[in-house]
Amino acid sequence: MTNADRLEIARLVHRFGFGPRPGEYLALVHGGVAHARREVLRSDRDAALAKVADPHITDLGPAPSDPAASNAYWQSVWDQYMVLATWWLDRMVLADHPLVERMTWFWHGHWATSIGKVGFALPMKIQNQTLRQRALGNFSDMAREMILDGALIYWLDGEVNVVGAPNENLGREFMELFTLGVGNFTEDDVKAAARGLTGYRVVETSGRVSFESARHDHSPVRLLGTTRSFDASSLSDFVVAHDATATHITNRLWFRFVSTTVPPPRRLVKTFAKRNIVSLVHAIATDPAVRRPGLSQVKSPVEWFVSACRALRVTPSRLDSGDLHWLLGQMGQFPFDPPSVGGWPFDEAWLTASSAQYRFSLADVLVHHGNVTPLGTTASTMVQAAADWLGVAQWSERTARSLRAAVSDPRQLATLAICAPEFVVSV
Amino acid sequence: MTDFSRRQFLKYVGASTLSTLAATLTFDDLANAATATPLAPGTPILVLVTLYGGNDGLNTVVPYLDPVYQSSRPGISLSGADVLPLADGLALNATMTGFKSLWDQHKLAIVLGTSYPQPSYSHFTSMAIWQTASPVEPTTSGWIGRWLDLQAHNPFTAIGIGDVLTPLLAGNKRVGSVLPLYGLDVPGYSYGERARMLGLSSPRDTRLTATAAQSIGDLFSLASTVGPVLATAPPSGASDLAQQLDVVANLIAANVPTLVYSVTIDGFDTHADELSAQSSLVGSVSDAVTAFLAQVGATPRANDVVVMAYSEFGRRVEANDSQGTDHGTAAPLFVAGNRVAGGFYGEQPSLTSLVDGDLAVTTDFRDVYASMLADVLGADPLQIMPGWTSKLNLITTG
Repeated sequence: MTNADRLEIARLVHRFGFGPRPGEYLALVHGGVAHARREVLRSDRDAALAKVADPHITDLGPAPSDPAASNAYWQSVWDQYMVLATWWLDRMVLADHPLVERMTWFWHGHWATSIGKVGFALPMKIQNQTLRQRALGNFSDMAREMILDGALIYWLDGEVNVVGAPNENLGREFMELFTLGVGNFTEDDVKAAARGLTGYRVVETSGRVSFESARHDHSPVRLLGTTRSFDASSLSDFVVAHDATATHITNRLWFRFVSTTVPPPRRLVKTFAKRNIVSLVHAIATDPAVRRPGLSQVKSPVEWFVSACRALRVTPSRLDSGDLHWLLGQMGQFPFDPPSVGGWPFDEAWLTASSAQYRFSLADVLVHHGNVTPLGTTASTMVQAAADWLGVAQWSERTARSLRAAVSDPRQLATLAICAPEFVVSV
Repeated sequence: MTDFSRRQFLKYVGASTLSTLAATLTFDDLANAATATPLAPGTPILVLVTLYGGNDGLNTVVPYLDPVYQSSRPGISLSGADVLPLADGLALNATMTGFKSLWDQHKLAIVLGTSYPQPSYSHFTSMAIWQTASPVEPTTSGWIGRWLDLQAHNPFTAIGIGDVLTPLLAGNKRVGSVLPLYGLDVPGYSYGERARMLGLSSPRDTRLTATAAQSIGDLFSLASTVGPVLATAPPSGASDLAQQLDVVANLIAANVPTLVYSVTIDGFDTHADELSAQSSLVGSVSDAVTAFLAQVGATPRANDVVVMAYSEFGRRVEANDSQGTDHGTAAPLFVAGNRVAGGFYGEQPSLTSLVDGDLAVTTDFRDVYASMLADVLGADPLQIMPGWTSKLNLITTG
């Protein structure tokens, strides 16, 4: 087994999954790259996820006017948020075939919607289920459902976008970030899209969407060179069919899975001609760039956290949710709370002294709750065992030196290993 | 972050980290270990305040006497007791009493109609243009980052307060440091020594593993210097921005060798129900910056500090029917400090002679950056913004 194979398999398992559970990386390495790619791309029924209970998220209704009931109400709002977030983190950690959760996570960053404005867990859960259901399906279906998604509409002021008084927020971001990409539409197209998206109402606490014909602009608009009338569904189909959408989505996936510095090969976009997400994902995973040295990517804080939990067999919902929310929040990332509609930053933005500090703190919590027996008890093999356990192709001399100094204390060695540059970065 | 979970966290820190890691270095240990050189007296310091979301310039510096302003914004226009008149028919939003007093002391420059040619209406594109100072050619390096590229590596030279790096601090070779509001704390004893080893460079490093290692090294060196400062003076202030600036003021008072600080505030994307939200936001910017300058004003560095506050764009002249405003173009930018030559710069864009339906750009922001680079940081703007030769004179020299 060559180092190049170890590197490619490590990238497949960390980027298209959330890192290996104990023993998985060595098994994949023994099976070879082609086998590893097939395993990583599996999205068949997941026996482990079938056992994860659905979170109990309910419509809490409007806030009570009685101040005595108010505290309990807002506590429930917060508790539901934590239940939802840890439920999703559990799914990422426990999945036998994590590709679907991995893609759901990618799409959450793509259609970035924050509970900070949406306010309630139920609409966020509904959106999350849509993204999961469509994660590897047809992007046209996903976009059509998302533009009618209550959380997204509310997040981007679609709720107040009515005939005669258009609000441009949703239409602009739909074209700029979710479909066409910046530079592929004009300001007139933004105004036209806003009119096409008028008339939708959202119930804040449930995310239920309704259409009020009287609030909708039924007149024809000129959008991307075509004049006709639109509603949300037809507008979504029309924009998604545009060539620029294929290029933009291909670029976004490549950017998050392969490289932020090297552009995708031109042929890749053809695999997305029918807007079939799974074809594009398979083509990316099979691209020779996955094997090319130098194309490192930084794991985002959640990706790093989930990969550490998978290795240590820690179930996130069993941790104190207050600690978890604080520590991941200080690292800059918590599910359902992206900083803006543009999603989370990438690469160097995560590599600050500040995040290094909170990474050490969170690593300590995880190792404290986790299982480090895969390291074994033999000092002479422990450092290599750590690489095989965590799915690291090869430690640098720097890291190996630090870990060798800690072989008398496997828990400390584990903490150092998951904070090492070669585990923080998908090399 | 609720108080609820913060309390739990503090409990956790006491009960878990300290016990299972054996110990964390004390702040005194760190202070003794600090090797950083203090900033020389009289060294200029630049503080950048980024307002995310596109602040409504017309409800910040208000053309309150213009009937077109009043008629364009039914329900969200300001007049009478809601404004603080300055001059030339312009007034500050009445929440900005701090800025009004700086104005009266000639310590506040207001650069009118600021943007760049063919402004983008995209938050992300426009903020990227402001932070990279590159409106034509997209680039990944920030303008302060390119200035950092010209300095020796030192994690202290430029510091952003927050949890992730503000892109303006990322250069091609060097990046600024990020300091969380509640300071840095590092592992101690033998474990700390091994953790510190992870911060060394290695010949096998890729660009990103090298940066990851650097971040660990920076954690140890920053913590040893700023740790004691923040331990003795935890952040205080009415808003998150005020707390960030309070940390900056404490670091300045402690002679931390930092020449550029970056702080941020968000929430300015007021598409709906703008009136009270936007007024309150610009009020908190005014309060926080004014309190910060007063804090610094009580130290020997009173004349060293210049603050610049900007947003990625202004908003439309006309309100939308959600009692808000959609993305626009030019907007006022603020520069404040004892050495600032107060007053208006540039021209207030006409509310009737619009360009593509929006305010005309009368000042290019790179003229302001050139002043910050040349007159505050003593750098050659041409090295950071190739080809850019003009500059405003916002700073009094000598």
